[in-house]
Amino acid sequence: MEHWLYTFSVAGHSFTVNLDTIFTMWFAMICLIIFAFIATRNLSVVPGKLQAFCEKVMSFFWGVMDTMMPADNKQHVPLVASLFLFILFANLMGQLPLRIIHIKQGELASPTNDINMTAAMAIIVLIYYVGAGLLKKGPKFFLHDFSFVSIVMALVELLEMVTRPLSLAIRLFANIFAGEILVSIALAASAYFAPLPVMLFEILVAFIQATVFMMLTIAYVGSATGEEH
Amino acid sequence: MENLQLAQLGAGIAIGFGAIGAGLGIGVATKGLMDAVSRQPEVAGKAFGFFLLGAALAEACALYAFVIAFLLLGK
Repeated sequence: MEHWLYTFSVAGHSFTVNLDTIFTMWFAMICLIIFAFIATRNLSVVPGKLQAFCEKVMSFFWGVMDTMMPADNKQHVPLVASLFLFILFANLMGQLPLRIIHIKQGELASPTNDINMTAAMAIIVLIYYVGAGLLKKGPKFFLHDFSFVSIVMALVELLEMVTRPLSLAIRLFANIFAGEILVSIALAASAYFAPLPVMLFEILVAFIQATVFMMLTIAYVGSATGEEH
Repeated sequence: MENLQLAQLGAGIAIGFGAIGAGLGIGVATKGLMDAVSRQPEVAGKAFGFFLLGAALAEACALYAFVIAFLLLGK
């Protein structure tokens, strides 16, 4: 659970990066990029097996967008789909036996067990939905009209800008982190068969947490760009 | 008591009270699923997906408590 810290200083400020998180993050991203690259070669009208699978995946995203956000939703599919696929790959990577690669400190596990990773994704979501709301509504995104109720609501929404990314980041991080601790406790009890049901449960959690992150992103973007606040 | 023992006590209390809320939440969600499925058995698959989402959201509250407990133990 500890990370491989690397500290360097730029212009008098010292920065610390978690090298194992960066490595596993790039591993997940490269898997995803290679998959997307292979899947989009030789597209044909009559789809092959791989293309049919990818079309299923994309129609899953479009169906979710249609149910959660009524109108004008196709432009948000790239962010939502890439967040879902990246989080799914990253969570599932935690169940790969990457721990047999020895590094200096800590161990290689899924990159989402680092709060910096999940906080970065949550801040991207925050910037995206505030930007989408500003593009759609202009300054009215913050304040509808000058009345007591709408000023109070504007303050509440300012507070939500802090609590929404915080809960997004901590929810994903804590789920994956707790899963790894659960696996290590089962591993300490019996190294052969006790971790297996826990790891199966973790695969379920990986799918559910990716879905939850995606659903909440859609809900936030939808409430920012929708007609009613 | 020593500071470490106090921290361990606090961690146990934190995760315990956090688990109460999450347990209640998941129980209510399961009750809703059972009601829906017994009333309309054909929506079982769709309702189960929404149930998993709601259960994950409720479970997250216990995990916030878990993070706090882990922070307490780490000090």
